[in-house]
Amino acid sequence: MTTLLHATDLRVAYGDACVLDGIDLEIARGEFVALIGPNGAGKTTLLHAIAGTAPLCGGNVDIAGYDLAKAPRAAKQAIGLAIDPPGLPVLLTGRECLALFAGARGLPAIPPAALALGETLSLTSVLDRRIDSYSLGMRQKLGIMLGLIGEPPMLLLDEPFNGLDPRSALAFKTHLDALIRQGDTSVLLATHSLDIAERHATRVVLLMDGRVRRSWDAAELAAMREQPERSLETAMAEASGA
Amino acid sequence: MRIISAPALLLACCAAIACGDFYSGYGWCLAAGALLALGGGYAIVHARLLDALGRWRFGWCGALPVGRGATASTLLLVTAAALLVSLAFATALLLGVSVSAPHRADLAYALAGIDLALVVGTAAAAGRAFRAGARVHHADGIRESLFALPWLNDPRLPHLLDWQRRATLVQWRRGGSFVMVGVVLAGVPDGPSLPMVVALVLLVLSWSWLAVAMRASADAAAAAVRLLGATPLDVECARMASLRYPAAAALCAVVSMIAGAILAGHGAIALAWAACAVAVSAWPLFCIFRATRRPEGPA
Repeated sequence: MTTLLHATDLRVAYGDACVLDGIDLEIARGEFVALIGPNGAGKTTLLHAIAGTAPLCGGNVDIAGYDLAKAPRAAKQAIGLAIDPPGLPVLLTGRECLALFAGARGLPAIPPAALALGETLSLTSVLDRRIDSYSLGMRQKLGIMLGLIGEPPMLLLDEPFNGLDPRSALAFKTHLDALIRQGDTSVLLATHSLDIAERHATRVVLLMDGRVRRSWDAAELAAMREQPERSLETAMAEASGA
Repeated sequence: MRIISAPALLLACCAAIACGDFYSGYGWCLAAGALLALGGGYAIVHARLLDALGRWRFGWCGALPVGRGATASTLLLVTAAALLVSLAFATALLLGVSVSAPHRADLAYALAGIDLALVVGTAAAAGRAFRAGARVHHADGIRESLFALPWLNDPRLPHLLDWQRRATLVQWRRGGSFVMVGVVLAGVPDGPSLPMVVALVLLVLSWSWLAVAMRASADAAAAAVRLLGATPLDVECARMASLRYPAAAALCAVVSMIAGAILAGHGAIALAWAACAVAVSAWPLFCIFRATRRPEGPA
């Protein structure tokens, strides 16, 4: 498998607080990597550092062969960051927001695949309503659609299942699994849902205090799924030193 | 700074007008100053109280076990304190201005007129804001413009213009930029004939609206750049798309100001004044340039 994302020695600090302290991460095409860790471990910051929306103190991000610092537009063409619900523009409708993102990606119109995803997530009926009338779940779905618009190969998702109803959550998990099976798309998912990480990810990375503490590969995860007495939860607790 | 500067500038204008001799008679000056203080006091207090009420009732603190009576009395106390500060500031300004004013003997009338107008304006605003009650979350009003401008939208960044337009509408309907009224009144000398009144209205409304449009457009553009930070957005394209609405707004305002200047009959002076007004109002455009100059990647 070819490498899609290559991050080396990533460092991010907010004031005196060091949030990422020399992260090395490599993701191949078709990989589903789950990022787990306690609150404040640096999961969200890592996603933003990779997306180019958090200022790096050091390190390098290479996406699809493009250096994020030297060729940001080419590198960002390959990534899709799902938007946090509070960050959505409340004065626009869902459809207007999708068109804005499509334009920013250089697309002439909202791609049919994005609208199909909206149908899968049962969001089509409210796309022409203002975002300020959306519930948390609707905003979450729109944020996901904005991240996936244009089908970028590297998806960065930060707790995308928060607020989703079970049916939509299942539909989205199925959609992600299908993308991974096709082999061109990779997913980096920051989550506290260990069951999602255990069941769907091909690799799980534990982040603590801004560093990679431990990672579990596909074989270890498969072993966990087969042995009920072993779980990612206990493995994480052991790795955390609890 | 943005919270304090507008009321302070407005009160300074009130004091200058009330102590001046611009409108062929001291009575006119006092009336204009008092009217400005009344309207200004109302606009500033009404917008801020509505905002505070909305936050108290529907913001994160809305779920706290705080009674409506306690909320109302706290806000009234804060409003009263702000009114006292305004009265003290206005009085100090009037005393200061009156030293060299042509009608310093009538200082008592000016003091009474401006201070009373401030009290009445503030009281009316507080009464109306509290009566709005549960409807306060609709205070933003209708956010749709009267007519669409699809041809003005940049196809490379569609609906950014709609975002800026709606943000302008929301700001305008919340009280706009009333401080401009004072600046205009203070800047136009001589007699209140009918064409002059119409000219004043045109100049005041145009400048006030332009200032709101520029500020709201700059804020919306900065928010859009932040929102699209992870996309391969072409910065030059974003800058050009962000400037479309402010440019159209400035053009409309300039046309209206030129009409006002012609009506005022002060040709060159009024046009120069209009040009200055546009230049002053356009400073948020530099914020657009700053916002669209985001770093291309990690530092």
